[in-house]
Amino acid sequence: MMKLNIFHRTDPGRYEIFKQQQDLVHSLGMKTSIFLHYFDLFQDHIVADALAYQEEFGDEIGLALNRLEGPGMDDISRGLEHIWLFDEEQKRQLMEMALSKFKAVFGRMPTAVTSYHFDSSALRILKEIVPEVEGLVGGCFEEGVRVFHGCNHSWYLFNEGMPWGPWFPAKGHTLRPAADEQDWSGVVAVPHLARDMSLSYEGRNDFWASHPPNVIRGMGNDASFCPYDLNLIDQYRMQADFNGHTYYNTFVGTQWLTWNHNSEYPPEVSWDLYTKQLTYFKELKDQGELDDLTLTEYALWHKENRPMAEPEVYLAKEMLYQSHKHYFWHIDPDLRVLIDANQGGSIGDLRAYIGRVEKATGPDTPSRENGAYPYLIQSQYRTGYPNHSFDGSRTTLKLVKNGQEVDLCTTPTKVESIERSSAGSRVVLSPAQIVFPDGGTVEVVTTYAIEPGGKITLTRSLSGDTEDILATEYFKGAPGCTEYPIDLHGIQLQVTDAEATQEMDYLYRRRRLEAERPECVVAIVPQVNSRVMMAPAKGAQPASGLAREGNLFEPYFVLELTYDTNTSTEFSTCLIITA
Amino acid sequence: MSDHHRVTKRCPVCFSRDIDVLLTSRDGIWACVKCSFNGTEAEIRGMYRDIQKKYHGMIERYTLDDQRKL
Repeated sequence: MMKLNIFHRTDPGRYEIFKQQQDLVHSLGMKTSIFLHYFDLFQDHIVADALAYQEEFGDEIGLALNRLEGPGMDDISRGLEHIWLFDEEQKRQLMEMALSKFKAVFGRMPTAVTSYHFDSSALRILKEIVPEVEGLVGGCFEEGVRVFHGCNHSWYLFNEGMPWGPWFPAKGHTLRPAADEQDWSGVVAVPHLARDMSLSYEGRNDFWASHPPNVIRGMGNDASFCPYDLNLIDQYRMQADFNGHTYYNTFVGTQWLTWNHNSEYPPEVSWDLYTKQLTYFKELKDQGELDDLTLTEYALWHKENRPMAEPEVYLAKEMLYQSHKHYFWHIDPDLRVLIDANQGGSIGDLRAYIGRVEKATGPDTPSRENGAYPYLIQSQYRTGYPNHSFDGSRTTLKLVKNGQEVDLCTTPTKVESIERSSAGSRVVLSPAQIVFPDGGTVEVVTTYAIEPGGKITLTRSLSGDTEDILATEYFKGAPGCTEYPIDLHGIQLQVTDAEATQEMDYLYRRRRLEAERPECVVAIVPQVNSRVMMAPAKGAQPASGLAREGNLFEPYFVLELTYDTNTSTEFSTCLIITA
Repeated sequence: MSDHHRVTKRCPVCFSRDIDVLLTSRDGIWACVKCSFNGTEAEIRGMYRDIQKKYHGMIERYTLDDQRKL
C-alpha cells in the first residue's frame, strides 16, 4: 500500500491556478494539504476558501514557511524566504509572527508546517511555540551542491545526507533519524517530493522527482508524453516489497503551472502531465493500492505504525537512461549507506549518523547555510573510481595475481536479493565476473549485512582460478559536506596486530602504517565524531593490513585488509563505525 | 494559454552541463550571458533534441511488474 500526500501552496498572485489545482484533485475524489503563507492569512477570500475545502473535502490547512513576507515581516526577512537561513532570534520572531496570525485566523495552531528545510534550531523553536505540530515537510533529499550548480550557483539549499522517506527527525540534526524517544524532536518529517534514487545520486535531483513540471525542466518529457512520471511512482510502489509500505508525495507550486523560466513548453503541457500523475494516483486508489492522506493524518499513521529506529531500504533501478543500474540504499539511526551494484558493490555514499553530528544553520552558526549531514564517503563529489589521477572516496575489492590488479569497481553486478527487518538488511549481489590479463577468471559473490549500531559485514566468496590471488578490502574515505576537501588534520590512523598498536596523526605526508596478520585497521575521524574500524570477521585472517594518509593532491585516508586466497576463498570483513 | 512569444529558452550548452541559464534574444539570434553560445531558435530546438538522445528510456513505460524484473 502506498501512502500519498498531495500538497498545494496558496499564491495570491496566481490564485486561480491554485484553485484549479484544488478542483482537479477534488474532481478525482482525493484530498490535499494546503499550506498558507503568512501573507495569505490577511486575505479573507483565501481563508474562506481554505475553510470551505476543509469542510467539503477533508483537506488540511497548514502553514507554509516558504515565503516570509507580509505586514511586519518584511522588515525582518528583508527578502530572504528561507527560515533555516536566519539567526535564532529572527527565526523565533518570524515563526511567532506567522503562527500567532495563523491562530488568530483559524482559532488553532497548525499541526502541519512546510519549508524546504528545517534545521535543528528552527525545529526546536517551532516545537516550543507549537507543541501540537505533528507533520513537517522537512527537507529536500540530496539537494545541495548539484542543484546549487544547476541554478547557476544561486540556490542556497544544502541539505544532503538525509532520509529519502518519512522519518522521525533527531533533535541535534534534523536530517538524522532519531534513535529513540529521547533523541527525537517530536514531529514526523516527510521529504519535499519523492526523488529518483538513482539520478539523485548521479546528478541534479530536482529534475527527477515526483513533480511533473520538474521533469519538464530536466527535458525528460516529449511534450505531453512522459511515462517517466508514472515509472517513478511504480518504483516507489516496489519498495513496499522490502519495507512493507511505501510513501509518496507531490508538491507542485503555482509558478510551475504557468509560463515559467524552467520550461520551453506552454503551460498546457505541465497541466497535462500533472493531471496524468494525479489520475494515476486515482487509478491506484480505486484499485486499493493507494491511500491519500493529509500530512497530519500521515504523521499520526507513521507514529502509530512505524517503530522508531526501524531500518528502511530502497532498491533503485535506473530507468531514464535505460542503463538499468541498481543502487541499494539502507538507512537506520546509525548509518545511511549507498551500495553501487554497478561498481561491483562499492559503497558510493556513507553517512555515519552514529557520530551524532549536531548542526543548526544560520549566520549565527559555524555551518552558516550548509545543513547537510556530513559524509565519510561520497564518490560523486570526491572522485570515487579513478578516471584521471588518484581515486577518491569509495570502497572496493582489489584482486592481484602475478602483479596484475583488477578492481571490482570495473565489474558491474546487480542486486540479487534483499532481506530487511528490525535487525538490519542483507543484500546479495549477482556474481562479478573478473578476467585477469592472463585469461584466468574469478567469480566474486558479495554479500552485505548492515546492522544498527554502525556495523557492516562484507562477505566475499571467490571461485574459479583463485590460486595465488591476494584480495584486498579497500576503504578510502574523507569527511565533508560538499565537493571540496576539508581540513583533515586531527584524523588519527591506527593498525593493530597481536603485539601492538601503531598510530599516527594525519599530516598530509602520504605515510603508511602496516602490519602482518592484523587484528584491525582504524581511522578516528573527529570531523564526523566517528571511528572507522575494519577488522576480519570471526574465522577470517588477513595476511596484512594498512592504514595510509594522503597528501594535498589526494586528501583522503585509506584502510586495507589483504587476504590470501590460498588460505581461504571466502572471507568476511567487518566495517564497524562507532562514535 | 498558448502564446509562443512567452516561451523562454535555456542555453543548450550550459544545460548540457546541467546548468539553467536563460538566453537573451536580439535580432533573431539567441545568446547566452554565461558562455559564448549564440544561435537561432531552430538550432536551439535541435540541440535540445540532441540533449534528450541520452534518455533512451524516455518513451518507455516500466510498470511495477516490469521494474521487479529489471
